[in-house]
Amino acid sequence: MEQRKTIVIDPVTRIEGHARITLHLDDHGEISDARFHVTQFRGFEKLCEGRPFTEMPSLMARICGICPVSHLTASAKACDALLAVRIPPTADKLRRIFNMAQIVQSHALSLFHLSSPDLLLGMDADPAKSNLWGVAERDPQLARDGIRLRQFGQQIIERLGGKRIHPAWVVPGGVSEPLSSQDRDAILAAIPEALGIAERSLTWYKTLREKFREEISTFGNFPSLFLGTVKEDGSLAFYDGRLRVGDATGQIIADNLDGARYFDFLGEKVEPWSYLKSAYYKPKGYPDGIYRVGPLARLNVADRCGTLRADQELAEFKELQRTAVLSSFHYHQARLIEILYCVERMEQLLHDPDILSKHVRAEAKPNALEGIGSAEAPRGTLFHHYKIDENGLVRWANLIIATGQNNLAMNRSVLQVAKHFVHGDRVTPGMLNRVEAVIRAYDPCLSCSTHAWGEMPLRVQLLSARGELIREISRP
Amino acid sequence: MARVLILACGNPLRCDDGVAWRAAEELSRLHERDDVEIVSRHQLTPELAVAVSQAETVLFLDAGRFGAPGEIMVTPLQAQPDAPAFFHDVSPQAILALSRQLYGVCPRAWMVSMGGECFDHGETLSPGIEHRLPLFVARIADLVRAASATEAQPTGARADSQG
Repeated sequence: MEQRKTIVIDPVTRIEGHARITLHLDDHGEISDARFHVTQFRGFEKLCEGRPFTEMPSLMARICGICPVSHLTASAKACDALLAVRIPPTADKLRRIFNMAQIVQSHALSLFHLSSPDLLLGMDADPAKSNLWGVAERDPQLARDGIRLRQFGQQIIERLGGKRIHPAWVVPGGVSEPLSSQDRDAILAAIPEALGIAERSLTWYKTLREKFREEISTFGNFPSLFLGTVKEDGSLAFYDGRLRVGDATGQIIADNLDGARYFDFLGEKVEPWSYLKSAYYKPKGYPDGIYRVGPLARLNVADRCGTLRADQELAEFKELQRTAVLSSFHYHQARLIEILYCVERMEQLLHDPDILSKHVRAEAKPNALEGIGSAEAPRGTLFHHYKIDENGLVRWANLIIATGQNNLAMNRSVLQVAKHFVHGDRVTPGMLNRVEAVIRAYDPCLSCSTHAWGEMPLRVQLLSARGELIREISRP
Repeated sequence: MARVLILACGNPLRCDDGVAWRAAEELSRLHERDDVEIVSRHQLTPELAVAVSQAETVLFLDAGRFGAPGEIMVTPLQAQPDAPAFFHDVSPQAILALSRQLYGVCPRAWMVSMGGECFDHGETLSPGIEHRLPLFVARIADLVRAASATEAQPTGARADSQG
């Protein structure tokens, strides 16, 4: 019987949630296959059945402690479709601000708290130091900036939504409370500092990027499709717009797609080795329809951002590769550009003369039995699809989350990194960290409401095909 | 600037784990003063280092998993860098370490906890803990008064289960 060796990384550290990575070795000790397994199960699609649809935004927000606003937003949009109402213009703008505040705080968490140890201290750094405290020791200003930027986003969410985690302010038909002038002025007062941090962080990142040429060339650097939402003029959108698919050459191959018709062009496949579904672009089939979502994809498919400073950064970003920007390492830079855009755009919206309007909710009873909402979450496009009965009770729900849409790409990325850095049965912390770091670049949100951060206990086992332990490395 | 920061931590949907939140609510009614800031959180996160750095004294409130139910513990805390396994595992000591490292300030800090009895799903405290909640609040109020007084300091580490 063939002795098939595997290396298991369990759990993957410094990501949102719980997962493991299995690397399969061939007879020569070289990597033959790799898989990223999501080992937890949430089951929200089933547990919401039978609940009144009006509860859905609040219930769906519980999916995640990091990006509850994204689920709240997509869910409320699905409920708007059930009501068949057009929400008041001010509610629309407030929801946009809310969602962008979420993008800022989540991106800050990903870049500064989870990935900056790799970027600042290096991929081969002592695992005991690869955390926020290690960053604080090496570059206190960078750590302060990360904390402040995340706090900036959280405070906006708290001001608008009443609390920073699981706010219930976004409701079917709009939002529950208007914005006060006091809160508007407080948010505006914090904008200059946030802009300064975003710009300073971009400068820092671009300075050190050159140190990671090998990682850039091997971290998910392969052709794929990219999916994101754009406005009618082709500029970057987070709350509403039309979907666009671009290919690896940078060409747009499908445009003006309706998110409410996602099932026409997106499919989902379940693999037996993961609880995470794999989405694919239907016209290309499975698995050739591999596509990426999130910051890298959004910037690849958008013609421009739509704000002055972010547009300058986007133009520079698009010069990174002659084709579409393919390396998933560049998710980090894309994240920073999106932070910059969101801060600029929030300032514009807060100066809107109608932003303090008291008319923020459209009241209606259900006028449709099926509703679909989509929005851009920090990690990519998010779809909520509900069917209700005549009593307004949810009978069926389907959620397509961003991380699932990146599942194929994450698996391929792990394989690419492992093939490049892992040889034989030599297992080093630096090698392991690179395999994990490519996953961190995608910023997957696996647990939704469980947050893994810092140095999780790590055990790497080299097992035979019969499960015999050949070698083990662990850290507490 | 708040001289005393009260950081209540716990999950009010898990019965006695919400005792710090309940105490914080009571204290909010008692201390409507500018020099006392009360914050309730499900978990401790790095962002709290900012508020911690701006206080002279920090009281971390939490439900205790160890010790007798209803037992009130007051323990001094020292800054200690951490490598937390989970987001919700960032310790008070690690928050203090961040405050010192990033803002050059490490306030006096105490953990004030009351042993819990039931951590199941539920929004109410168990009867024994509910009964002793006023003692918990009174103990915290004493510490606030001591911290607010010039040169005065809380009484330090000791177990206090008398009531």
